[in-house]
Amino acid sequence: PAMAARLLLRAARPLLAGTGRGAGLGTGLGTALSTAPSTAPSTVPSTAPSPEKKRWLRAYLELQRLQAPPQRRSEKPNWDYHAEIQAFSYRLQENFALDLLKTAFVNPCYIESEEARRRQLGLDKDAVALQLQDNSGLAERGLRFARAYLAQCFEGAYPELPAKGVEALVNFLTSQELVSYVAQNLSVQDLALCRDFPAPPDVLQRTFLAVIGALLESSGPERTGIFVRDFLIPQLIGKDLFEVWEVVNPMGLLLEELTKRNISAPEPRITRQLGVSTVLPVYFVGLYCDKKILAEGPGETLLAAEEEAARVALRKLYGYTENRRPWDYSKPKQGLAAEKAISSN
Amino acid sequence: RYVRQLQRLQLLFSPTAADARGAREFVEEAAQDFARQHPDVVLYVSPHSGPGPAPVLRAEYLNGTVRDELIASKTSEEIAQLAIKLANQSGLDIIRIRKPFHTDNPSVQGQWHPLTNKPSILTVQGPRLQPQ
Repeated sequence: PAMAARLLLRAARPLLAGTGRGAGLGTGLGTALSTAPSTAPSTVPSTAPSPEKKRWLRAYLELQRLQAPPQRRSEKPNWDYHAEIQAFSYRLQENFALDLLKTAFVNPCYIESEEARRRQLGLDKDAVALQLQDNSGLAERGLRFARAYLAQCFEGAYPELPAKGVEALVNFLTSQELVSYVAQNLSVQDLALCRDFPAPPDVLQRTFLAVIGALLESSGPERTGIFVRDFLIPQLIGKDLFEVWEVVNPMGLLLEELTKRNISAPEPRITRQLGVSTVLPVYFVGLYCDKKILAEGPGETLLAAEEEAARVALRKLYGYTENRRPWDYSKPKQGLAAEKAISSN
Repeated sequence: RYVRQLQRLQLLFSPTAADARGAREFVEEAAQDFARQHPDVVLYVSPHSGPGPAPVLRAEYLNGTVRDELIASKTSEEIAQLAIKLANQSGLDIIRIRKPFHTDNPSVQGQWHPLTNKPSILTVQGPRLQPQ
């Protein structure tokens, strides 16, 4: 009877820790059996108040918990920095030199804040200076390598694309939002040491580029190139060329391209039109060179349609259409390794 | 490349509770094998002494979702299978999938619009040309 009652109590006890621990079995018996927890296990936190407390008090404590400021993962229980860094390198399937990787996560703002804190606590000069190096050197090297490698990739894949287009694509792929988005989804924000929480996007960008720099130092340019290709180039999926590259006058650019290839200037003609006298007309303007069709584009007004047709023609000329071959992510062959090592910095 | 979405697994259990027996056996026998087979998941084992909450396996994913799974009165093999299941999941919410199909390219030849099969205005329709 007493044993059975104790086992029954064990089965019905709450998931919630904290102050419930102190409640004795005898006094908690009646209340625990009557107020069995009804919350789903997947959403219950571990520090919510137990059902032995009054209902209003539980609501108040829950509100306090929800309004508490967010904390870094490193300040919550169960955190082992070394193990996390090792798991990070395994997760990315790369061999990092661990000390380089640890330097890559140290940001200058963290070093400044730590030194300020130590100075405030009244330590003398030697203890104030931290032995850590920050990641700015690694970040700069990583950025240079990433830009060079991506520019080389795009020049190989889209040989017709002019230098400004390649530059626009590379700038987009190394921009703050994209790199910080990639870094956040790879848990860089937990491992990065920085002054404020949550880490601002430029800190995340710098940390990710420093990780690339660390990989460059540890594994060499080929593996780093594969890493950059695998993580940054998929962000271009679904993106159109002119979303990334702002072109103000597509018609002028098209004329330049055609004169380079010795084709005569395009002649715009209306191919199709719908609803001319309504509020929403649709015009399809086709560009003809020597009476042969070059491209056709829709638009609301004739000017908009002509501009769109110029953009479609540019996409066709540069080989960046929607039905182009998808990017090649296969393993590079051994023979190309030497060529890549020489041409990348 | 494949990046495992599970970041860390925290095994919170009590060393004396009766329903945490499976958890204790898992820690003694199978936890090391699991950790060796999944080197990219950090496994934290934290026993809290005294009567506490029910034993729970907390999984944290790369997109921030935290999932708690009760392991009270489960055997060691069941907990191992549960851990492998959590390791192969992504952190997306487990909700009803509205349709079991999805495509990024809904149309191969271009979606139909009212002007698709209409000839263009420039097409000259005249008398039939003489064969050459």
